[in-house]
Amino acid sequence: MITAERPARTSRLAREIAQTPIVPLTVATTAMGGRLVVHLAASGADDRARHDAQLLLARIRRWADRLSRHIETSELSMLNADPRSRVPVGPTLGAALWAGVEAANESEHLVDITLLGARLAAEGLPSTDVAADTPRRWSLCSGPRRTAVVDRAPGIRFDLGGVAKGWLAERGLACLSSWPSAVVDADGDLALRCGPGATWAVAVDDPRTDGSALAILHLSGRATRWPTRWGVATSGTSVHRWRRDETMRHHLIDPRTGAPAITDVVQATVVCGSALRAEALAKAAVIAGTTQGLALLERAGVAGAVILTERGETLALPQTLNLLAE
Amino acid sequence: MVRQHPASAGGRDESVDESRRAAGSRPDPTKVRFVLGASGIAALSALVTVIAAPPAPVSLPVSPPAAPTTVTQQRPIVYIQLAPGQSPPPGATVIDAKAPKPITIVTRVPAPPQQTVVVRTTQSGKVIP
Repeated sequence: MITAERPARTSRLAREIAQTPIVPLTVATTAMGGRLVVHLAASGADDRARHDAQLLLARIRRWADRLSRHIETSELSMLNADPRSRVPVGPTLGAALWAGVEAANESEHLVDITLLGARLAAEGLPSTDVAADTPRRWSLCSGPRRTAVVDRAPGIRFDLGGVAKGWLAERGLACLSSWPSAVVDADGDLALRCGPGATWAVAVDDPRTDGSALAILHLSGRATRWPTRWGVATSGTSVHRWRRDETMRHHLIDPRTGAPAITDVVQATVVCGSALRAEALAKAAVIAGTTQGLALLERAGVAGAVILTERGETLALPQTLNLLAE
Repeated sequence: MVRQHPASAGGRDESVDESRRAAGSRPDPTKVRFVLGASGIAALSALVTVIAAPPAPVSLPVSPPAAPTTVTQQRPIVYIQLAPGQSPPPGATVIDAKAPKPITIVTRVPAPPQQTVVVRTTQSGKVIP
Protein backbone atom coordinates (compact mmCIF):
# COMPACT_ATOMS: atom_id res chain seq x y z
CA MET A 1 0.00 0.00 0.00
CA ILE A 2 1.21 3.49 -0.81
CA THR A 3 0.52 5.85 2.04
CA ALA A 4 0.43 9.52 1.21
CA GLU A 5 -0.21 12.41 3.51
CA ARG A 6 -2.65 14.96 2.29
CA PRO A 7 -3.05 17.53 5.01
CA ALA A 8 -4.55 20.11 2.65
CA ARG A 9 -8.26 19.70 2.12
CA THR A 10 -9.60 19.35 -1.34
CA SER A 11 -12.45 21.68 -2.05
CA ARG A 12 -15.54 20.97 -4.01
CA LEU A 13 -18.03 23.06 -5.88
CA ALA A 14 -20.65 22.09 -3.37
CA ARG A 15 -18.56 23.73 -0.67
CA GLU A 16 -18.71 27.10 -2.34
CA ILE A 17 -21.62 28.01 -0.18
CA ALA A 18 -21.03 27.59 3.51
CA GLN A 19 -24.08 25.63 4.53
CA THR A 20 -25.52 25.89 7.96
CA PRO A 21 -26.36 22.48 9.36
CA ILE A 22 -29.91 21.64 10.29
CA VAL A 23 -30.91 22.19 13.90
CA PRO A 24 -33.29 19.26 14.26
CA LEU A 25 -36.18 18.22 16.40
CA THR A 26 -34.97 15.07 18.14
CA VAL A 27 -37.02 12.26 19.68
CA ALA A 28 -35.21 9.33 21.30
CA THR A 29 -35.89 6.05 23.05
CA THR A 30 -34.01 2.84 23.76
CA ALA A 31 -34.16 -0.36 21.72
CA MET A 32 -31.90 -3.21 20.58
CA GLY A 33 -29.69 -2.72 23.62
CA GLY A 34 -28.90 0.83 22.59
CA ARG A 35 -30.45 4.08 21.55
CA LEU A 36 -33.01 4.70 18.85
CA VAL A 37 -33.35 8.30 17.68
CA VAL A 38 -35.26 10.22 15.03
CA HIS A 39 -34.11 13.68 13.94
CA LEU A 40 -36.36 15.81 11.75
CA ALA A 41 -35.73 19.17 10.15
CA ALA A 42 -38.51 20.84 12.09
CA SER A 43 -38.89 23.29 14.91
CA GLY A 44 -39.23 22.04 18.46
CA ALA A 45 -42.79 23.28 18.55
CA ASP A 46 -43.87 21.22 15.55
CA ASP A 47 -46.40 18.78 17.00
CA ARG A 48 -46.81 16.88 13.75
CA ALA A 49 -43.07 16.25 13.58
CA ARG A 50 -42.98 15.02 17.16
CA HIS A 51 -45.99 12.78 16.55
CA ASP A 52 -44.49 11.28 13.38
CA ALA A 53 -41.18 10.63 15.14
CA GLN A 54 -42.83 8.93 18.13
CA LEU A 55 -45.01 6.83 15.86
CA LEU A 56 -41.97 5.69 13.91
CA LEU A 57 -39.97 4.85 17.03
CA ALA A 58 -42.80 2.61 18.23
CA ARG A 59 -42.89 0.84 14.86
CA ILE A 60 -39.14 0.32 14.79
CA ARG A 61 -39.22 -1.11 18.29
CA ARG A 62 -41.84 -3.64 17.22
CA TRP A 63 -39.73 -4.67 14.23
CA ALA A 64 -36.60 -4.84 16.39
CA ASP A 65 -38.34 -7.10 18.89
CA ARG A 66 -38.97 -9.62 16.11
CA LEU A 67 -35.29 -9.63 15.16
CA SER A 68 -33.68 -9.82 18.59
CA ARG A 69 -31.86 -12.94 19.76
CA HIS A 70 -32.19 -11.67 23.33
CA ILE A 71 -35.98 -12.13 23.35
CA GLU A 72 -36.95 -15.79 23.55
CA THR A 73 -40.27 -15.26 21.79
CA SER A 74 -38.86 -13.21 18.94
CA GLU A 75 -39.20 -14.51 15.43
CA LEU A 76 -35.43 -14.84 15.19
CA SER A 77 -35.20 -16.87 18.40
CA MET A 78 -38.00 -19.13 17.15
CA LEU A 79 -36.10 -19.69 13.92
CA ASN A 80 -32.90 -20.48 15.79
CA ALA A 81 -34.74 -22.93 18.06
CA ASP A 82 -36.58 -24.63 15.21
CA PRO A 83 -35.15 -28.12 14.57
CA ARG A 84 -36.29 -28.17 10.95
CA SER A 85 -33.86 -27.31 8.21
CA ARG A 86 -36.54 -25.63 6.09
CA VAL A 87 -38.44 -22.97 8.01
CA PRO A 88 -40.93 -20.36 6.75
CA VAL A 89 -40.46 -16.91 8.26
CA GLY A 90 -42.56 -13.74 8.29
CA PRO A 91 -42.04 -10.65 6.14
CA THR A 92 -39.98 -8.70 8.69
CA LEU A 93 -37.52 -11.47 9.48
CA GLY A 94 -37.44 -12.47 5.83
CA ALA A 95 -36.51 -8.93 4.78
CA ALA A 96 -33.84 -8.73 7.49
CA LEU A 97 -32.36 -12.04 6.34
CA TRP A 98 -32.31 -10.75 2.77
CA ALA A 99 -30.42 -7.76 4.16
CA GLY A 100 -27.96 -10.24 5.65
CA VAL A 101 -27.39 -11.73 2.21
CA GLU A 102 -26.81 -8.24 0.82
CA ALA A 103 -24.42 -7.39 3.65
CA ALA A 104 -22.39 -10.52 2.96
CA ASN A 105 -22.10 -9.65 -0.71
CA GLU A 106 -21.23 -6.00 -0.07
CA SER A 107 -18.53 -6.92 2.46
CA GLU A 108 -16.87 -9.57 0.30
CA HIS A 109 -18.28 -12.11 2.76
CA LEU A 110 -16.57 -10.69 5.82
CA VAL A 111 -20.00 -10.09 7.33
CA ASP A 112 -21.78 -13.33 8.10
CA ILE A 113 -25.06 -13.51 10.01
CA THR A 114 -24.67 -17.21 10.83
CA LEU A 115 -21.99 -16.75 13.49
CA LEU A 116 -24.14 -16.79 16.61
CA GLY A 117 -22.28 -19.73 18.11
CA ALA A 118 -18.89 -18.09 17.65
CA ARG A 119 -20.23 -14.86 19.12
CA LEU A 120 -21.55 -16.68 22.22
CA ALA A 121 -18.29 -18.55 22.56
CA ALA A 122 -16.39 -15.26 22.44
CA GLU A 123 -18.46 -14.08 25.38
CA GLY A 124 -17.80 -17.33 27.21
CA LEU A 125 -21.42 -18.43 26.90
CA PRO A 126 -22.38 -22.00 26.04
CA SER A 127 -22.79 -22.65 22.36
CA THR A 128 -24.16 -25.61 20.46
CA ASP A 129 -23.29 -24.22 17.10
CA VAL A 130 -21.59 -26.00 14.26
CA ALA A 131 -17.81 -26.19 14.25
CA ALA A 132 -15.99 -23.23 12.78
CA ASP A 133 -14.66 -25.21 9.85
CA THR A 134 -18.09 -26.58 8.89
CA PRO A 135 -19.53 -24.85 5.81
CA ARG A 136 -22.34 -22.60 6.99
CA ARG A 137 -24.65 -23.27 4.08
CA TRP A 138 -28.02 -21.64 4.02
CA SER A 139 -30.33 -20.11 1.47
CA LEU A 140 -33.40 -17.99 1.34
CA CYS A 141 -36.28 -17.98 -1.10
CA SER A 142 -39.38 -15.85 -1.37
CA GLY A 143 -42.63 -17.19 -0.05
CA PRO A 144 -46.22 -16.03 -0.48
CA ARG A 145 -47.25 -12.56 0.67
CA ARG A 146 -43.72 -11.23 1.25
CA THR A 147 -42.79 -14.12 3.52
CA ALA A 148 -39.62 -16.15 2.99
CA VAL A 149 -38.39 -19.69 3.50
CA VAL A 150 -35.03 -20.40 5.12
CA ASP A 151 -33.21 -23.54 4.08
CA ARG A 152 -30.15 -24.22 6.21
CA ALA A 153 -27.69 -26.89 7.15
CA PRO A 154 -28.23 -28.46 10.58
CA GLY A 155 -26.98 -26.31 13.43
CA ILE A 156 -27.02 -23.00 11.60
CA ARG A 157 -28.27 -20.19 13.83
CA PHE A 158 -28.55 -16.53 13.02
CA ASP A 159 -27.39 -13.35 14.73
CA LEU A 160 -28.47 -10.30 12.78
CA GLY A 161 -26.62 -7.83 15.03
CA GLY A 162 -25.56 -4.69 13.18
CA VAL A 163 -27.20 -5.86 9.97
CA ALA A 164 -30.59 -5.53 11.66
CA LYS A 165 -29.73 -2.05 12.89
CA GLY A 166 -28.68 -0.82 9.47
CA TRP A 167 -31.76 -2.38 7.93
CA LEU A 168 -34.07 -0.90 10.59
CA ALA A 169 -32.60 2.56 10.06
CA GLU A 170 -33.22 2.29 6.33
CA ARG A 171 -36.73 0.94 6.72
CA GLY A 172 -37.55 3.60 9.31
CA LEU A 173 -36.36 6.41 7.07
CA ALA A 174 -38.55 5.08 4.26
CA CYS A 175 -41.54 5.59 6.56
CA LEU A 176 -40.69 9.28 6.93
CA SER A 177 -41.23 10.05 3.26
CA SER A 178 -43.18 13.21 4.03
CA TRP A 179 -40.07 14.75 5.62
CA PRO A 180 -37.47 15.82 3.04
CA SER A 181 -34.73 16.05 5.69
CA ALA A 182 -34.72 13.32 8.32
CA VAL A 183 -32.36 10.97 10.16
CA VAL A 184 -33.03 7.60 11.77
CA ASP A 185 -30.30 6.61 14.21
CA ALA A 186 -30.45 2.89 15.04
CA ASP A 187 -27.83 2.61 17.79
CA GLY A 188 -25.18 4.48 15.83
CA ASP A 189 -26.13 3.38 12.31
CA LEU A 190 -27.61 6.39 10.55
CA ALA A 191 -29.94 6.57 7.57
CA LEU A 192 -30.14 10.19 6.42
CA ARG A 193 -32.16 12.10 3.90
CA CYS A 194 -31.21 15.65 2.93
CA GLY A 195 -33.55 17.96 1.11
CA PRO A 196 -32.09 20.09 -1.69
CA GLY A 197 -29.61 22.51 -0.17
CA ALA A 198 -29.98 21.12 3.36
CA THR A 199 -27.00 19.84 5.36
CA TRP A 200 -26.78 17.38 8.23
CA ALA A 201 -23.77 17.65 10.50
CA VAL A 202 -22.71 14.23 11.77
CA ALA A 203 -20.09 13.71 14.47
CA VAL A 204 -17.90 10.62 14.22
CA ASP A 205 -17.53 9.48 17.81
CA ASP A 206 -14.06 9.25 19.31
CA PRO A 207 -14.20 6.12 21.47
CA ARG A 208 -11.25 7.28 23.59
CA THR A 209 -12.95 10.32 25.08
CA ASP A 210 -16.61 10.73 25.92
CA GLY A 211 -18.28 13.47 23.95
CA SER A 212 -15.37 14.13 21.60
CA ALA A 213 -15.30 13.53 17.87
CA LEU A 214 -12.74 12.18 15.43
CA ALA A 215 -14.33 14.20 12.67
CA ILE A 216 -17.48 16.11 11.82
CA LEU A 217 -19.06 15.31 8.49
CA HIS A 218 -21.29 17.65 6.54
CA LEU A 219 -23.70 15.64 4.41
CA SER A 220 -25.65 17.80 2.03
CA GLY A 221 -28.58 17.44 -0.30
CA ARG A 222 -27.72 17.94 -3.92
CA ALA A 223 -29.35 20.78 -5.77
CA THR A 224 -31.81 18.52 -7.49
CA ARG A 225 -35.51 18.05 -7.18
CA TRP A 226 -35.15 14.88 -5.15
CA PRO A 227 -33.69 14.49 -1.66
CA THR A 228 -30.28 12.89 -1.29
CA ARG A 229 -29.85 9.67 0.69
CA TRP A 230 -26.84 8.99 2.87
CA GLY A 231 -25.87 6.13 5.13
CA VAL A 232 -23.30 6.40 7.91
CA ALA A 233 -22.31 3.56 10.21
CA THR A 234 -19.58 2.88 12.75
CA SER A 235 -18.24 -0.44 13.92
CA GLY A 236 -15.45 -1.26 16.30
CA THR A 237 -13.94 -3.36 19.01
CA SER A 238 -13.77 -0.96 21.93
CA VAL A 239 -17.32 -1.15 23.31
CA HIS A 240 -18.33 -4.82 23.25
CA ARG A 241 -15.25 -6.49 24.68
CA TRP A 242 -14.53 -8.96 27.45
CA ARG A 243 -11.52 -10.31 29.22
CA ARG A 244 -11.36 -14.09 28.87
CA ASP A 245 -8.42 -16.39 29.48
CA GLU A 246 -6.26 -13.37 30.22
CA THR A 247 -6.94 -11.96 26.75
CA MET A 248 -9.31 -9.30 25.57
CA ARG A 249 -11.97 -10.52 23.20
CA HIS A 250 -14.52 -8.56 21.24
CA HIS A 251 -17.76 -9.24 19.41
CA LEU A 252 -16.67 -8.96 15.77
CA ILE A 253 -16.20 -12.48 14.52
CA ASP A 254 -13.99 -13.17 11.52
CA PRO A 255 -15.87 -15.75 9.43
CA ARG A 256 -12.56 -17.06 8.10
CA THR A 257 -11.48 -18.20 11.55
CA GLY A 258 -14.73 -18.37 13.53
CA ALA A 259 -13.06 -16.34 16.29
CA PRO A 260 -12.88 -12.64 17.21
CA ALA A 261 -11.02 -10.84 14.46
CA ILE A 262 -7.34 -10.13 15.04
CA THR A 263 -7.20 -6.57 13.83
CA ASP A 264 -5.36 -3.29 14.29
CA VAL A 265 -8.52 -1.26 13.70
CA VAL A 266 -10.27 0.04 16.80
CA GLN A 267 -13.10 1.72 14.97
CA ALA A 268 -14.21 2.27 11.39
CA THR A 269 -16.83 4.70 10.09
CA VAL A 270 -18.14 4.47 6.54
CA VAL A 271 -20.22 6.96 4.57
CA CYS A 272 -22.13 5.75 1.53
CA GLY A 273 -25.64 5.64 0.13
CA SER A 274 -27.35 3.42 2.67
CA ALA A 275 -27.05 2.58 6.35
CA LEU A 276 -27.13 -1.15 5.68
CA ARG A 277 -24.24 -0.97 3.24
CA ALA A 278 -22.30 1.40 5.50
CA GLU A 279 -22.77 -0.97 8.44
CA ALA A 280 -21.59 -3.99 6.46
CA LEU A 281 -18.53 -2.19 5.11
CA ALA A 282 -17.57 -0.65 8.45
CA LYS A 283 -17.66 -4.05 10.12
CA ALA A 284 -15.73 -5.61 7.25
CA ALA A 285 -13.04 -2.91 7.51
CA VAL A 286 -12.56 -3.64 11.21
CA ILE A 287 -12.37 -7.38 10.62
CA ALA A 288 -9.98 -7.02 7.68
CA GLY A 289 -7.57 -4.63 9.43
CA THR A 290 -6.17 -1.30 8.28
CA THR A 291 -4.44 -2.29 5.04
CA GLN A 292 -6.95 -4.77 3.71
CA GLY A 293 -9.88 -2.85 5.14
CA LEU A 294 -9.02 0.44 3.41
CA ALA A 295 -8.42 -1.45 0.17
CA LEU A 296 -11.84 -3.06 0.52
CA LEU A 297 -13.49 0.32 1.11
CA GLU A 298 -11.67 1.75 -1.90
CA ARG A 299 -12.97 -1.10 -4.06
CA ALA A 300 -16.46 -0.55 -2.70
CA GLY A 301 -16.35 3.08 -3.84
CA VAL A 302 -17.60 4.54 -0.58
CA ALA A 303 -18.16 8.29 -0.23
CA GLY A 304 -15.95 8.47 2.83
CA ALA A 305 -14.26 6.45 5.56
CA VAL A 306 -12.54 7.31 8.84
CA ILE A 307 -10.53 4.68 10.68
CA LEU A 308 -8.99 4.82 14.15
CA THR A 309 -6.14 2.38 14.59
CA GLU A 310 -4.80 0.83 17.77
CA ARG A 311 -1.72 3.03 17.33
CA GLY A 312 -3.99 6.05 17.79
CA GLU A 313 -3.82 7.15 14.15
CA THR A 314 -6.87 8.60 12.45
CA LEU A 315 -6.82 7.57 8.80
CA ALA A 316 -9.24 8.41 6.01
CA LEU A 317 -9.83 7.82 2.36
CA PRO A 318 -9.08 10.99 0.35
CA GLN A 319 -12.69 11.55 -0.72
CA THR A 320 -13.62 11.93 2.95
CA LEU A 321 -11.98 15.36 2.97
CA ASN A 322 -14.81 16.63 0.78
CA LEU A 323 -17.25 15.80 3.57
CA LEU A 324 -15.39 17.24 6.53
CA ALA A 325 -16.75 20.32 8.26
CA GLU A 326 -14.40 23.29 8.30
CA MET B 1 -22.21 -60.41 -93.47
CA VAL B 2 -21.65 -56.99 -94.92
CA ARG B 3 -20.55 -54.25 -92.60
CA GLN B 4 -21.90 -50.81 -93.36
CA HIS B 5 -19.57 -47.92 -92.84
CA PRO B 6 -21.12 -45.30 -90.62
CA ALA B 7 -20.49 -42.59 -93.15
CA SER B 8 -22.32 -44.50 -95.74
CA ALA B 9 -25.45 -44.94 -93.65
CA GLY B 10 -28.45 -43.38 -95.43
CA GLY B 11 -30.03 -41.05 -92.80
CA ARG B 12 -26.71 -39.96 -91.52
CA ASP B 13 -25.53 -38.71 -94.88
CA GLU B 14 -28.52 -36.42 -95.18
CA SER B 15 -27.93 -34.70 -91.84
CA VAL B 16 -24.24 -34.13 -92.61
CA ASP B 17 -25.13 -32.53 -95.87
CA GLU B 18 -27.60 -30.16 -94.21
CA SER B 19 -25.08 -29.01 -91.62
CA ARG B 20 -22.53 -28.39 -94.29
CA ARG B 21 -24.99 -26.32 -96.18
CA ALA B 22 -25.83 -24.28 -93.10
CA ALA B 23 -22.15 -23.68 -92.30
CA GLY B 24 -21.50 -22.53 -95.75
CA SER B 25 -24.20 -19.88 -95.60
CA ARG B 26 -22.83 -18.09 -92.39
CA PRO B 27 -20.19 -15.27 -92.59
CA ASP B 28 -16.74 -16.04 -91.27
CA PRO B 29 -16.63 -14.77 -87.58
CA THR B 30 -12.87 -14.61 -87.38
CA LYS B 31 -12.59 -11.08 -88.71
CA VAL B 32 -15.27 -9.76 -86.36
CA ARG B 33 -13.64 -11.48 -83.39
CA PHE B 34 -10.30 -9.95 -84.30
CA VAL B 35 -11.82 -6.49 -84.55
CA LEU B 36 -13.64 -6.83 -81.21
CA GLY B 37 -10.53 -8.12 -79.46
CA ALA B 38 -8.34 -5.36 -80.80
CA SER B 39 -10.80 -2.64 -79.83
CA GLY B 40 -11.13 -4.12 -76.30
CA ILE B 41 -7.40 -4.09 -75.82
CA ALA B 42 -7.22 -0.50 -77.03
CA ALA B 43 -9.98 0.61 -74.64
CA LEU B 44 -8.34 -1.15 -71.71
CA SER B 45 -4.95 0.37 -72.40
CA ALA B 46 -6.54 3.82 -72.62
CA LEU B 47 -8.22 3.32 -69.25
CA VAL B 48 -5.00 2.15 -67.63
CA THR B 49 -3.20 5.15 -69.01
CA VAL B 50 -5.79 7.55 -67.58
CA ILE B 51 -5.82 5.91 -64.15
CA ALA B 52 -2.16 5.23 -63.64
CA ALA B 53 -0.71 8.32 -65.20
CA PRO B 54 0.54 10.95 -62.71
CA PRO B 55 -1.62 14.07 -62.46
CA ALA B 56 -0.58 17.07 -64.30
CA PRO B 57 1.65 19.33 -62.22
CA VAL B 58 -0.25 22.11 -60.45
CA SER B 59 1.53 25.19 -59.27
CA LEU B 60 1.10 25.55 -55.46
CA PRO B 61 2.20 28.42 -53.23
CA VAL B 62 5.57 27.59 -51.84
CA SER B 63 5.80 27.59 -48.05
CA PRO B 64 8.91 27.25 -45.91
CA PRO B 65 9.49 23.76 -44.61
CA ALA B 66 7.83 23.10 -41.25
CA ALA B 67 10.01 22.83 -38.22
CA PRO B 68 10.40 19.24 -37.06
CA THR B 69 8.06 18.39 -34.17
CA THR B 70 8.65 15.90 -31.43
CA VAL B 71 5.92 13.35 -31.01
CA THR B 72 5.83 11.50 -27.76
CA GLN B 73 4.40 8.12 -28.24
CA GLN B 74 3.39 6.24 -25.15
CA ARG B 75 4.11 2.61 -25.30
CA PRO B 76 1.24 0.56 -24.02
CA ILE B 77 2.02 -1.74 -21.15
CA VAL B 78 0.87 -5.17 -21.91
CA TYR B 79 -0.15 -7.47 -19.11
CA ILE B 80 -0.29 -11.15 -19.56
CA GLN B 81 -2.07 -13.23 -17.00
CA LEU B 82 -0.14 -16.39 -16.48
CA ALA B 83 -2.10 -19.57 -16.31
CA PRO B 84 -1.17 -22.12 -13.66
CA GLY B 85 2.05 -23.83 -14.67
CA GLN B 86 3.13 -21.08 -17.05
CA SER B 87 6.36 -19.21 -16.48
CA PRO B 88 6.98 -15.55 -17.38
CA PRO B 89 9.29 -14.59 -20.22
CA PRO B 90 12.85 -13.64 -19.19
CA GLY B 91 13.10 -10.11 -17.80
CA ALA B 92 9.34 -9.68 -17.34
CA THR B 93 8.02 -8.00 -14.24
CA VAL B 94 5.80 -10.37 -12.34
CA ILE B 95 2.97 -8.93 -10.23
CA ASP B 96 1.13 -11.11 -7.77
CA ALA B 97 -2.52 -11.09 -8.74
CA LYS B 98 -3.53 -11.29 -5.09
CA ALA B 99 -1.39 -8.33 -4.05
CA PRO B 100 -3.51 -5.39 -2.90
CA LYS B 101 -3.87 -2.54 -5.33
CA PRO B 102 -1.95 0.52 -4.11
CA ILE B 103 -4.26 3.14 -2.69
CA THR B 104 -3.84 6.62 -1.32
CA ILE B 105 -4.95 7.36 2.20
CA VAL B 106 -5.04 10.44 4.35
CA THR B 107 -2.85 10.05 7.40
CA ARG B 108 -3.52 13.45 8.94
CA VAL B 109 -7.21 14.06 9.22
CA PRO B 110 -7.83 17.71 10.18
CA ALA B 111 -9.11 18.17 13.70
CA PRO B 112 -12.85 18.75 13.83
CA PRO B 113 -14.13 22.21 14.63
CA GLN B 114 -15.39 22.85 18.12
CA GLN B 115 -19.12 22.71 17.65
CA THR B 116 -22.03 20.89 19.19
CA VAL B 117 -23.41 18.24 16.88
CA VAL B 118 -26.61 16.43 17.75
CA VAL B 119 -26.41 13.65 15.17
CA ARG B 120 -23.68 11.20 16.07
CA THR B 121 -22.45 7.91 14.68
CA THR B 122 -21.00 5.51 17.24
CA GLN B 123 -20.24 1.88 17.78
CA SER B 124 -23.30 -0.09 18.80
CA GLY B 125 -23.99 -0.06 22.51
CA LYS B 126 -22.06 3.16 23.07
CA VAL B 127 -23.75 5.30 25.71
CA ILE B 128 -23.82 8.93 24.74
CA PRO B 129 -23.57 11.19 27.78
